[in-house]
Amino acid sequence: MKVVELLESRRRQWKTLEQMTDRLQSRRRNRLPPDDLVKFADLYRAACADLALADAYQLPPSTTQYLHRLVGRAHNQLYRSHKFDFRHWGKILLHDVPESIFRDRCVQVAFCLFWGVFLTSAALAYQQTMWPNYAQEMLTEPVISQLESNFSEPLTGRDPDADLAMAGFYIRHNTSIGLKCFVGGLLVIPGLFITVFNAAHLGAAFGYMARPEVAESQNFFQFVTAHGPFELTAIVLSAGAGLRLGVAWLAPGRWGRLASLRRTAREAMPLMGAAMCMFFLAAMIEAFISPSGLPYWFKALVAVVSSGALLFYFLVLGLPGGSSRATG
Amino acid sequence: MGVNLAFGTGLANNRSMSTALNQLDTTIQVVTPENIAFDYRVAGPFRRLPAFLLDVAIRIAAFFLIGLIISFFAGAGGSGLAVAVILIGWFVSEWFYGGLFETYWNGQTPGKRIMGLRVLTTDGQPINGLQAVMRNVFRTADMYPMLSIQILGDLPPAYIFPTFFAGLAVMACNRQFQRVGDLVCGTLVVIEEKPWLTEVAKAEDPRTAALAELLPTDFRVSRSMAQTLSSYVERRRYFTPARRREIAGHLGEPLLQRFGLPSDTSYDLLLCALYHRTFISDRPEESPQRESRSQHDQPVSSGLSEGSSP
Repeated sequence: MKVVELLESRRRQWKTLEQMTDRLQSRRRNRLPPDDLVKFADLYRAACADLALADAYQLPPSTTQYLHRLVGRAHNQLYRSHKFDFRHWGKILLHDVPESIFRDRCVQVAFCLFWGVFLTSAALAYQQTMWPNYAQEMLTEPVISQLESNFSEPLTGRDPDADLAMAGFYIRHNTSIGLKCFVGGLLVIPGLFITVFNAAHLGAAFGYMARPEVAESQNFFQFVTAHGPFELTAIVLSAGAGLRLGVAWLAPGRWGRLASLRRTAREAMPLMGAAMCMFFLAAMIEAFISPSGLPYWFKALVAVVSSGALLFYFLVLGLPGGSSRATG
Repeated sequence: MGVNLAFGTGLANNRSMSTALNQLDTTIQVVTPENIAFDYRVAGPFRRLPAFLLDVAIRIAAFFLIGLIISFFAGAGGSGLAVAVILIGWFVSEWFYGGLFETYWNGQTPGKRIMGLRVLTTDGQPINGLQAVMRNVFRTADMYPMLSIQILGDLPPAYIFPTFFAGLAVMACNRQFQRVGDLVCGTLVVIEEKPWLTEVAKAEDPRTAALAELLPTDFRVSRSMAQTLSSYVERRRYFTPARRREIAGHLGEPLLQRFGLPSDTSYDLLLCALYHRTFISDRPEESPQRESRSQHDQPVSSGLSEGSSP
């Protein structure tokens, strides 16, 4: 058979496939009736076969190119992206993530780094003999005066509207910092910088506000107690997950650097998901409980309960085999 | 002899050319579950930047629109709920706009759709939700180094803008133009064009068919030669007659000798005739022309020679 005849006999099929692909691709009418779907798959396979035999058929290059594009487009409509599988999320967050955190060196390192810097910075800001101006240099004057003015009045609760708005703000602001910390960890230096900077900054603020001569310290600690456990754990977790990415390509072990990075990223992303859940919880507490006029014992109780929940999450669920014992 | 030689070199050239083309062209080959290999063109930074900017513009426009509507309903000051919705919406669109669209729009964002791009895995398969979200979250890594706006002059230190140097450098260092997020997730961006089916090129010159009759019927065109012929005929309309003669001469000259046709036959016409016979006309199994060729030979071929050619 001559090429021209062959093309004539195929042209109609290709055109039909093209039209069906267009329809599948358009947003509004992207559902084909079942018969057409079967036909679409058939036409796609026929086009694939034509492409495979293009050389044997001696098709002209332009036709081959057309077939490459046609098959490519149809392929992308036939094989579509996998959506999220929400059913597995519960298992991943409650089973896989705690277990991987439990034996994760990077999270431990990030934990030590964050708390080490935090406590050092707090101590430096608290005492005034070794480095008298540390707090002023670290925090800068405007931040200190803002801190003092923010906590100058005892917490009596805001109007609920402001609470809602602040919830939105905390979710956006804090989770963004966590995500930046995570992604920055891939390039190692930005990740470490964000972690250390945040630890030092927060530590200095805590240390400064803890000074006996600072009048606002009472209010400050009333405010930060309740949401502290979730928020600080979440930032440590983000930093740890990010650090894992950096280590994955710096010290890949037996893997290729890229393969190691890819594998680790797949594992680290759920960790970041857990951290984001914590940021969310922290934001809720920070917006609705921390600024309220509730008595201090209640806020302390919230902190104790959330710390307990975190310990349960990391230690009981995280202990290898622990969750399987718990569930049955 | 000369023909065989020409075929040999032609084939070798063809092969070395195709590997060279693969290195030059930014295509990847995908093997489908049907065990068919087809090519995709990989999208480079200059195609992806407009898509990204479009996405940013769409995000900002949608954000303002929604903010406007919300503040219209909630009153000018905006209630706490409205502010919270706006802030959370901003957060989601900042980090998950691309990921959500690429998951539910089959690897495309609105900007990519306009630019005809699609995200696939490195082996050409559709991406999953995790990959879509991750490759967009990791865009932050592409934005480094961040610069403070202070370097432009005496401005407040609050504004920090991304330079995207990390992303560009990484893109330049690998053959599939993957940015950091793509490398981490094993994805790449391909160009998905609407195909055009062109007609089979036909030589409009009526003498082509006449010459095709004169070609020996027992001459079989090999595959590589058929490829060469169709490439030539598809492109010959872009060339001047002199250039055609130059290009067609490589194959035309040995063929003329082999077929025993007069040496002043136009090479271009000869290739067209061979193309015509191979691709378009039916091959005559019985050949009455063979005997009558000696009579026809002289007048026809003199008509076939190009007047303009030197």
